[in-house]
Amino acid sequence: MHFSSFVSRRSQTVLSFTALGVASALALAGCAPAGGADSDDNTITVWHYYSLDNQNAMLDQYKSEFEATNDGVTVENVYVPQDQLNSKLIAAVGSGTGPDVVVFDGYSATTLTSGGVLAAITDEWSGFDGADQIAEGAVTTVSGDVYSVQGYVNTLGLFYNKTILDELGIEPPTTVDQLEDGMAKATAAGHQGITLSGQPDVQGAFQAFPWLTEAGFDYAKPNADALSEGYARVRGWIDNGYLSAQAPTWDQNVPFAEFMNGNTAFAENGNWQLSSLESDATFDYGVVPLPVGTTGKVYLGGEAEGIGAFSKNPALAWKYLEETFLSKAGQLVALDQVGSLPTRADASADDSISADPYLSQFAEAIATQGAPFPDTIIPPENNEAVINANGQAWSAALGGQTSPDQAASDLIKVLEPLLQK
Amino acid sequence: MTYLTIRVPNWPSSALRRRGRRAAKSRWIYLVPATVFLGALAIFPLVQLARLSVSDVQVQNLNSDWPFVGVRNFIDGFSSGVLSQSLANTLVFVTIVTVVGLVGGIAAAVALRGTAKITGVLLAAMVFIWALPPVVNGSVWKFLLADDGLVNNVVNLAGLQSFPFLYDERYALISVAVVNAWAVIPFNTLVFRAAVLNVPVEQFEAAQLDGATPAQEFGNVILPALRPTTIVLAVLTIVYAFRSFDFVYVMTKGGPGTATQTLPYLSYQQAFVGYDFSAGAATAVVAVLFVLILAGVYARSVLKEESE
Repeated sequence: MHFSSFVSRRSQTVLSFTALGVASALALAGCAPAGGADSDDNTITVWHYYSLDNQNAMLDQYKSEFEATNDGVTVENVYVPQDQLNSKLIAAVGSGTGPDVVVFDGYSATTLTSGGVLAAITDEWSGFDGADQIAEGAVTTVSGDVYSVQGYVNTLGLFYNKTILDELGIEPPTTVDQLEDGMAKATAAGHQGITLSGQPDVQGAFQAFPWLTEAGFDYAKPNADALSEGYARVRGWIDNGYLSAQAPTWDQNVPFAEFMNGNTAFAENGNWQLSSLESDATFDYGVVPLPVGTTGKVYLGGEAEGIGAFSKNPALAWKYLEETFLSKAGQLVALDQVGSLPTRADASADDSISADPYLSQFAEAIATQGAPFPDTIIPPENNEAVINANGQAWSAALGGQTSPDQAASDLIKVLEPLLQK
Repeated sequence: MTYLTIRVPNWPSSALRRRGRRAAKSRWIYLVPATVFLGALAIFPLVQLARLSVSDVQVQNLNSDWPFVGVRNFIDGFSSGVLSQSLANTLVFVTIVTVVGLVGGIAAAVALRGTAKITGVLLAAMVFIWALPPVVNGSVWKFLLADDGLVNNVVNLAGLQSFPFLYDERYALISVAVVNAWAVIPFNTLVFRAAVLNVPVEQFEAAQLDGATPAQEFGNVILPALRPTTIVLAVLTIVYAFRSFDFVYVMTKGGPGTATQTLPYLSYQQAFVGYDFSAGAATAVVAVLFVLILAGVYARSVLKEESE
């Protein structure tokens, strides 16, 4: 019995090509992000999730400067979408591969360390002459070994539309009551009051923290009343029309795009948006630290850098970090391109910060309101669970899925077992 | 008279039996590639999933040993209410997608059963929609349903306030489900249309001779003919709706809060956002069990139809 007796010649050709196509598609589908398994001695791969133009400009500048001072070396920057980076890194560990340098969301440092993604850099760090310039809170240490360092810090502030504020005779607020008065006046005049992120994930939790701590919440002694007060305050902004009810669907970039339309009085957002304001704003603008009183805090966010556990060039990778993210000149590049604030004391003392009316406000926020992210009280293995629960509670309270009281008590119920060691 | 002599080969019966057996044996070899594929890409991952769901696997031990914990992940999921809420959301989602998908499919099939040129154009447009990646579909609908999107612009023109399609916890799940149903209707339409076209013309003629109205024609001629197709498509649509991850991810990310968190989305969130791989696996196993039950119902009904 021969195959060709069942199927005509033409169909055979079609079938063979289809089979070949399917086989090659399967083979191609197995390819991981490019640049993961390079064995070339002079190439280092850098995995990152930067999607804004200014962030990529900074990374490109690091690449060209490092290649210029190190003959024959190539730096390959590989983009991985933000919500996939951590899982791709952890999956790569399973196959013993991974990048040379990792630029990741700082709060994931302990998670990635326990997943075996990062190499210990204790020796390199102790031999680094800039180590004493960098604040302790910017270095992640697990069981006595250093695993990652933050080259810069990003945090939240209160952007305001100066044109609208001047027109209505409002001063930039220093207390949350003044902020609410300002929003009421702006809304009455037909503008939007404020924009912020209410997404049920880490971004929402990042933006929720200032208002929860303003109401007195503290991880050392978690208190449902403080949480409830914080949720009720911002939920009240939605009920009064100061904040759009769409906030639960917004990440951090959409609310800023809304602010850029020029019809919003205030925006809770980060210093990484400064350069796009500078180039694209059609109105006068200003920044003040978030008016969150004496107890209010802002998370010190921003990306951290480390060396991949399966890097084939750890020495070259460390040289890259020394000369870019961790050097004084490199941190000033981040400041210049993105508006990110340096973690080195010598770079922070740079005149360009104190002279800049916007950067100086963020520097003040970091100095007076900054809190480590994640909170050091949380057991590292529960960081992700805590931050997700926070994001979901924030989104549920803002979206009306639960009342502020219910969201607060639900969150406390979830947090209690997670906060015990 | 001329006779036509036909020579019949006189093969001994034992040789015939031997030939049959050899052919039967070599037939199984052709199954090997498919079995290897199925085994590697379907059975092995399912076994790993089951193992994950009865172990305690976090980031620290994903690549080393998995300690066995029995059904603790399932108990934790149901007692904390997380699994039961997701299951409830999933069932609502599946019901809406199935009902809207089937009703829409039948309506479109009956409306498009002619052969006018416009029918061909409409069918082509529907196939285009069905073939669009869910990410693209979901993104487009996210813009359409936003406060200042096209749908709300029309609502505003009618003098009403903007409707909170995607950020009100009462309506978000329904909105995402309706969009998913909309993407499923073209497939159902094509299958139903083929079934409608298969109804013998004589039945329609007989109905018209008896003076049937279009509604009676639909109820007494078309619907009964669509019964077997409806059963098959219902089960297929239900199984498809259980895999409701992509539209939720693109349109609402499970929010507001957890209002649109379906079983697949919860599984993704637990495993890839929270890095609690065993909890995510347990959620996935619950979804797989439901789908298996439904697949069993489908297989039984197909066998029953074939034997009738």
